[in-house]
Amino acid sequence: MTQPLLTIRNVRKNFGSVKAIDGIDLDIHENEFFALLGASGSGKTTLLRMLAGFELPDDGEIILDGKDVSQVPPNHRPVNLMFQSYALFPNMSVARNIAYGLEMEKLPKAEIRSRVDEILEVIQLSHLANRKPDQLSGGQRQRVALARALVKRPRLLLLDEPLGALDKKLRGEMQLELKRIQNEFGITFIIVTHDQEEALVMADRVAILKDGRLLQSGTPQEIYEHPESRFAADFIGVMNFFPVTQENGVLRAQDGSTITANTPLESAARGVAAVRPERLHIGGNDRDNSISGTVSAIAYHGLDLQVHLNTPASPDPVLIRLTADVAEQAPIGVGDSLTVHWAAKDTRVFAV
Amino acid sequence: MHWRIAPQIQARRMIDRKPLYLMTPALAWLTAFMVVPCLMILALAFFQRGIYGGIDYTFTLENIALVFDPLYANIFLKSAFIAGLSATIAVVIGYAAAFAIAAAPANRQAMLLFFAVLPFWSNYLVRTYAWIVMLNREGLIAGAAQWLGYDGELPKMLYTETAVVIGLVYNYLPFVILACYAPLSRLNPEIAEASRDLGGNGWTTFRRVILPMTVPGIATGFVFVFVLSIGNFVTPALLGGGQFQMIGNLVYAQFLTANDWPFGAALSMFLIAIMMGLLTLQTYASERASGAGREE
Repeated sequence: MTQPLLTIRNVRKNFGSVKAIDGIDLDIHENEFFALLGASGSGKTTLLRMLAGFELPDDGEIILDGKDVSQVPPNHRPVNLMFQSYALFPNMSVARNIAYGLEMEKLPKAEIRSRVDEILEVIQLSHLANRKPDQLSGGQRQRVALARALVKRPRLLLLDEPLGALDKKLRGEMQLELKRIQNEFGITFIIVTHDQEEALVMADRVAILKDGRLLQSGTPQEIYEHPESRFAADFIGVMNFFPVTQENGVLRAQDGSTITANTPLESAARGVAAVRPERLHIGGNDRDNSISGTVSAIAYHGLDLQVHLNTPASPDPVLIRLTADVAEQAPIGVGDSLTVHWAAKDTRVFAV
Repeated sequence: MHWRIAPQIQARRMIDRKPLYLMTPALAWLTAFMVVPCLMILALAFFQRGIYGGIDYTFTLENIALVFDPLYANIFLKSAFIAGLSATIAVVIGYAAAFAIAAAPANRQAMLLFFAVLPFWSNYLVRTYAWIVMLNREGLIAGAAQWLGYDGELPKMLYTETAVVIGLVYNYLPFVILACYAPLSRLNPEIAEASRDLGGNGWTTFRRVILPMTVPGIATGFVFVFVLSIGNFVTPALLGGGQFQMIGNLVYAQFLTANDWPFGAALSMFLIAIMMGLLTLQTYASERASGAGREE
């Protein structure tokens, strides 16, 4: 790839004695949809606010288009932020809200009007141009906030938990809508979210933050299928964990049964083996690993059936996902004995 | 839009039904000691003054007409000017103070507000007398000027209009600070940040976003100071030194020295009418600004 659009180099930020950002390096490329994923307190919002200019890093560089902008105030950065609260100006109509940023650029009135009209079309709110923000629904406000930031055609659009305030159904629609708009405008989006599903669905690449550090970054598939740490494995999606010890290259679960994996446990005698629920199956030929137990609970999710299995190999119940057709072929009830299998290639191991 | 209408309907129901009787004591009190006396005064304004100062119950419009006599109309205008000036100065100072308090760390705001309002807990007369100590020829300000090496003639400060304005501003400033602090402290900080993010500098952000959103507080503060000032008679009496009269002093004189109750009543009614007009206007303005009752 060519030179990245944005380079974050060894950025640090302390609030008093708290290390909010503890040395982060990250490259983000032109036209990328990038997600910063982390729990609250992971530093993701602080990092976003540093990109917008509302926090200044104590150390390190934020290089945008080849220039260090880390000390540039927010009103002089080609970066716009869509706030979590949307932060619409309640005293201005929808159209005035959107025009505000263009007026600050002192553009000719005619150009402002045409660009506002144009973006109102994109977000499909032309008919509400003269409404005040408190006359809009949550979803409509969110679109206005997006339009207000987007209309300035920034080099970088930052979105702080953009879908957090919406209900589940609307959230699903907006995820696709945001992707569509990002694609259409060709602007780099950086989204902050604590919702791993949101990050996986929308982003081209995801960075997982924890305690102000970058844990792992990669495509959603890399992150999901090849987590590099127990935390990442646990944080993204659902994962079954088996505490293991390693003797002579053989992994043993707590009940003594062996677990096979394609990669050994490195430089440690104790660790965990992990496998995703959807990789466990009751039939099939991938029988590198097998565990047996008793069904303790069944949860019906429509699309699939989630079965909890109590097994001596693990302190926690093992979660199995059975698709509707598999579940119909072999009905399972609570209290039944069940054996599940998985392939060695689907086992991940982590030191603890 | 269901999500908006639902809480409103709920709120209306709450007001429509049960709690109405809870207002009875307050309404009874106001009726007995406010509405009835006001009506009595209103009635007085239409009778003649008795020869020896009593009331001659003969209908007349003379008292009302006298209010518009240039002599008295000028006092009204003068009072309105002093009240308007005091309110303007108080709003400028009070808004700045409220802004600073609202921008202070959250754990210090309560303390700062407490200090701002502290003078309120002392007696109004004492506070006004304190300004006599400050402003007189041998007072603290003159002393301080001398100590700093100024040995020229100081302009007369006490018993001037300026002294009255100073006294009014000082006494009513806490009202303005409280009135302006309320909307300022409720501002979502992300809104000011959004303005910065979109390219606005600090001044533009203030002028186009923060100021319009806090107009209701400014209006409340201004009307409060204006209404309390225009009818005030203690401050002009003490700090104006009887050099000039405001409406309050005129009313006071009609009732207690001139013994012309009907004319005093007519003046009072005009004063009350002005105050009520302004308060109604202010309520209407702040309701509009807060968006309440806005229809689709």
